[in-house]
Amino acid sequence: MRLLLVEDNARLAGLIREGLQGQGFAVDWCGTVEGAESAQKINDYDLLLLDLGLPDGDGLALVRAMRRHRDATPILILTARAGLDDRVSGLDAGADDYLVKPFQMPELAARCRALLRRPGSALGTTLVAGNVRLDTAARGVEVGGAGVDATPREVDLLEHLLRHSGRVVAKASLENALYAMDAEVTPNALEASVSRLRKRLAGAGADISIRTVHGVGYALFAPESVAVSEPGPVNA
Amino acid sequence: MPETHLSTGPSLFRQIAVRLALVTLLFALLDVAIVVVTYLSEPESLAQELLTLEAEAIAQHPGPLASARSGARSGQPDASHWSIRTIDPATSQFPLPADRPQSMRSSMLLDWTMRERVGDGYRITGVRMIAQNGGPKWLLMVFEGRGVRPFWPVIRNELLEHVAVPLVPLALLMLVFNVVSVRRVLGPLRRAECEVDSLDPENMALRLSEPDAPREVSTLVRAVNRALGRLDVSMGILRTFTANAAHELRTPLSVMQLSLDHLPAGAARDDLQADTAHMTRLVGQMLDLAQADALVLDAQRVDLAAIGRNVVGLLAPKAFEARREIRFEDRGNALAMGHAEAIFRIYRNLVENALVHAAGKGAIEVVAGPGPQISVRDHGDGIAEADRAVMFERFWRKDRSTTTGAGLGLGIVKRLVEAHGGTITVDNADGGGALFRVCLQPVAAMAPTN
Repeated sequence: MRLLLVEDNARLAGLIREGLQGQGFAVDWCGTVEGAESAQKINDYDLLLLDLGLPDGDGLALVRAMRRHRDATPILILTARAGLDDRVSGLDAGADDYLVKPFQMPELAARCRALLRRPGSALGTTLVAGNVRLDTAARGVEVGGAGVDATPREVDLLEHLLRHSGRVVAKASLENALYAMDAEVTPNALEASVSRLRKRLAGAGADISIRTVHGVGYALFAPESVAVSEPGPVNA
Repeated sequence: MPETHLSTGPSLFRQIAVRLALVTLLFALLDVAIVVVTYLSEPESLAQELLTLEAEAIAQHPGPLASARSGARSGQPDASHWSIRTIDPATSQFPLPADRPQSMRSSMLLDWTMRERVGDGYRITGVRMIAQNGGPKWLLMVFEGRGVRPFWPVIRNELLEHVAVPLVPLALLMLVFNVVSVRRVLGPLRRAECEVDSLDPENMALRLSEPDAPREVSTLVRAVNRALGRLDVSMGILRTFTANAAHELRTPLSVMQLSLDHLPAGAARDDLQADTAHMTRLVGQMLDLAQADALVLDAQRVDLAAIGRNVVGLLAPKAFEARREIRFEDRGNALAMGHAEAIFRIYRNLVENALVHAAGKGAIEVVAGPGPQISVRDHGDGIAEADRAVMFERFWRKDRSTTTGAGLGLGIVKRLVEAHGGTITVDNADGGGALFRVCLQPVAAMAPTN
């Protein structure tokens, strides 16, 4: 995984680079829009981390230019701009995610992984949380190294929750992922699936927990998971 | 703000009206003085008027006419001699002024007056025709006196008939006209006053509308507008300073936060991380507040339930970490006019407030609807009556010894709600805990362009 970090503050860039390298990413760094453009001509990057206020221009202009040239490289905006309309305009310009400074390293790493995991960009990975492992290609679930039997629907559910570990996944989005469009979904079908998955994992001695957020959805927490501190985009 | 209408001095309108009334009065007095002086300088016409007045008095009070009465009529008290008798032009020997020839006898039936000097006084002799008992009568009057005193009743009568009667209605009319026109002229000033009263410190872009006339008022209004402009600029500097300062602090804070990860694990690092987190929150809130103050609402139709679900989803991990439950309920039809990100922040600050102030005490219940309203309820100790008035003030904290926040969260909420033209109330919920309720503008209430 090769990342390009565009950030004009050298000290901050050094820390981010160091932190992400520790998480297994290869990170190139430049401090200007021009530098970013020439770096992209030389290398193919899997993800762009972009500061907005750069010495030779606005990061948003770079985002727009890339999208205009049909460059679909995921872009995560890293910025101090947190105005009421900044997040929306960042996403409207074509960025994939928006993280406001200051942030914590695990949060940044989680966001990077989430962007890289998008369909098409990562197939056949193994998802891990606590002592639970899910092989997304073989559809096998292990708890503490021992295989656990689960229905395909429960594996789908677990995968979805693992992919968004530490975050709440909306009920509607789980239902869309688990049930075919034409299938009749009873209001508590999802609830029943979650309940069965919980029992199965608890029976196998899993140390993760699946929490219910009434009226919203479900969230999977690994024992040492870090709470998400920055809110994401508003879907309104 | 009723107190702004209390003024200590007299109003400009009253001052002008009183002065106009005084000037009118002065002119009336001047008029009287001129009339008196003019009459006194014309003894002939005074003498004439004296007899006419006497004759009119007799005509109005018919009765036996004494040939020589004294002390019965207006002029007499000051007379040294006074006589009246009726004459018959057919029989009587007609008295004539000494300077007229007898041949003018027929003309003597007309009124005449003669004034002549007698010692240090004067004698007035004259004939007046009056209509009495159905026929004309002629009175021969002789008056002797000295000085001006005998003429006072004449002058008084003259003033009444020729000065007071025409002048008083005229003066009143002029006064009314003056008062009305002063009111009209001062109208732009009153309108400017109303506009100044309705100026909103949160919206410094407002200016007074400049009247075309009078020039003095438009000059004043322009001066006020220039002052408002300067105030606006300095407020803008203050606002952007807060926003810029907070903004500039974010990058060094990021550096600090990430550097801390490189310190060896231990209590010192944990403390520093907690302090950095606190400072981060503070800087974030100051920026949020500056943005809330600067928010000019471009209201769109927003789904309060969708935003609420989003906020609860994002804050749930934080709540779980604090060993709290959080739930969301959509009570239906929760649509409003507003700014989605601003409403997101209203929700977020209310939920964060509940997380901090009702720590470890049951679930936080977030509700959208029914209709354009949202509420956040906790199961803490509730809100003390004394705190309700101050809790939305900036930098207010219930317990200043804690380092959980800056006391800006509810101030941000209040400002954002105000910018939406909404209301926020806080109550103690049935069964304990605080209940914050925010009412926003319904979709139909606002024009789509606003």
